[in-house]
Amino acid sequence: MKKLLILAAVIAALSVAGAAWAGPVQGVTDTEIKIGQWGPQTGPAALWGAVARGTGVYFDLINAEGGINGRKIKYYMRDDGYNPNRTKAIAKELYENEKIWGFACGVGTSPGMAVMPYIIKNNIPWVGMATGSPHWTQPPKKTIFGVYPLYPDEAQILTSYAIDTLGKKKIAFFYQNDDYGKGGLEGCLRELKKRGMTLAADVPVEVGETDLASHVMKLKKAGADAVIMWVYPKHAAIMLGTSAKLGYRPQWMACSTLSDVALMFKITKGLWKGMIFGNFAELPDSTNKLMLKYHRAQQKYAPKERWGVFFYAGFGFVEPMVEGIKRAGKDLSVDSFVKAMETLKDFQGIMGPITYSAERRQGIKQVFLAKCEPDIMMVKGKKITYGKGKRLSGWLKLD
Amino acid sequence: MLGQLVTSGIAIGATYALMALAMVIIYKTSEVLNFAQGDMAMLSAFVAYMLLSDYGLGFVTSFTIALAFAFALGAFLEFAFLRRAKEPNLLGLIIITLGLEMMLYGVASWRWGADQKDFPFPVSDFEVHQLGGDVVISDLNLVTLGVAFALMILLFLFFRYTKVGVAMKATQQNQQAARLMGIRVGRIMMLTWGMSAVVGACAAFLIASTDTLDPNLMWTPQLKGFSAAVLGGMTSLVGAVLGGFILGVVENLFGGYVSVEFKSVVAFAVIVLILCVKPSGLFAKHYVRKV
Repeated sequence: MKKLLILAAVIAALSVAGAAWAGPVQGVTDTEIKIGQWGPQTGPAALWGAVARGTGVYFDLINAEGGINGRKIKYYMRDDGYNPNRTKAIAKELYENEKIWGFACGVGTSPGMAVMPYIIKNNIPWVGMATGSPHWTQPPKKTIFGVYPLYPDEAQILTSYAIDTLGKKKIAFFYQNDDYGKGGLEGCLRELKKRGMTLAADVPVEVGETDLASHVMKLKKAGADAVIMWVYPKHAAIMLGTSAKLGYRPQWMACSTLSDVALMFKITKGLWKGMIFGNFAELPDSTNKLMLKYHRAQQKYAPKERWGVFFYAGFGFVEPMVEGIKRAGKDLSVDSFVKAMETLKDFQGIMGPITYSAERRQGIKQVFLAKCEPDIMMVKGKKITYGKGKRLSGWLKLD
Repeated sequence: MLGQLVTSGIAIGATYALMALAMVIIYKTSEVLNFAQGDMAMLSAFVAYMLLSDYGLGFVTSFTIALAFAFALGAFLEFAFLRRAKEPNLLGLIIITLGLEMMLYGVASWRWGADQKDFPFPVSDFEVHQLGGDVVISDLNLVTLGVAFALMILLFLFFRYTKVGVAMKATQQNQQAARLMGIRVGRIMMLTWGMSAVVGACAAFLIASTDTLDPNLMWTPQLKGFSAAVLGGMTSLVGAVLGGFILGVVENLFGGYVSVEFKSVVAFAVIVLILCVKPSGLFAKHYVRKV
């Protein structure tokens, strides 16, 4: 009896010591990891709500394959309507009430900026924010890992392509008058300065503006032969329509936020033809193995969703996070995760090559360019013309 | 450049004029500022879109049904919500319209989602006519102008020469007295809202064909329509239409010659300016408060 008691005491002591060693990690149990995401499911930016829904399907797929190291992902998706105040409330609710472990993606620079201080203070893992703003990764923060290539870098790449490959001489920039648009402008100006050139026309537009006649007149007057757009899909559509009407036909180029080529072709009534745009992920008809697998998952778990770039971006932005969790192993904590993420070198899913290190938190620094070339498909016995992207380059990076 | 800016200004001004007309109709009868104006129109545009693309109906059929829907929607909202307000004061009614706006926006977002859609229209914005010296105007612009003028004239004649129209004006001046004179105020209000919704829906169809169709379609046009109505006079139909044109041209000239960045501010600056300088609007008769 005495021996049994001593044995019991030893086992109890060891298990207590073992538990103290591991330490309870919020949002992680032996069977489960809790991950949350905010996104605009309603409101003016609801178009990008597809990202959060895409992540949901990605997690369904992973859970169906057994989870990561035996842990299934419990996903919390919340609607912030692109309103930073709501995003703040959501972050707090998810972290303090639902006790999540980390955040995935999250659309919007302003919403993200509103919660970044909270995330830093609480040491919460946050991977793959769906915006190319430099705020997240410059300067680098311990638990925040960016994936989306930076807007200034992408704009620089587009500008160089216009000058070197297309031989354009007068570059103009049409951009949304906020952080997002100005990020692109900064990159374009940087590249032009390097070559001793100046911008032919600087044309900002307010989010609420619906009539762009004066904007087009300004571009036309400047005689720009290439115009790079850094706006919402709506403004891209109105700009192309108004320009066509007023007889202005430069070479149009666009940011990767406008890379949903099928949608853009449709809403511009075909004027998207010839558009050269940046891409941060594979084109929708890509035959990449992962793309095909994810497409099948979408058809299985969310058959009503459209297979567009914003939807499968929800997969791509989270791929490195899942890889990091996998590499951290059974002993998953914030620190082990961060260390594991820093081992990613040229890790590639459906986006560009992702690299992190002790000093680097910007995962992807490359985009590839594509051109919109319409194609025909049969839908219910009728011929429909749709917008298709044709790859123009490999993954380009800045030197 | 001046010629094109003015021409485009008149073209876009016509859409502001239609929205302003819609708002003035309701204001003329009840002094209520209807903040749900834009979304009532937006919902009708979605109904038209649904009929056109999901059911494959022709333009005339779809638009007619959608306009009938708009009328029914307007009348229903007045009957079911505005009228139920207990001891309504003006502010309370305006707040109800704000609530209705949110509800309609929610319904449209839920039913059709947030993806931008492409609204087909029988008249093209790309078929242009040269007006001389590089200035162009499109078929769609001409149709919009035509619709704005036609509605303005029809409504003007309606309010002045028909019994119902005069009854509407009487209702606005003094609801109690109107009732005593045998006017069915309830019916008048429903009719007013129905008519206003139909005018708004016309605006929405025309706007959706140059813009993309999504729940936010009428957000800015409503604001600009409101500004145009304030500019022209909230009780004047002709004023509303002229206000729309003036606003469109002024905005464009400002955007072209002063600052394209601050172009959107013009509409709001106009509201503030007019309310300070001539609150009844440029073209409306200023009625001293009724005793």
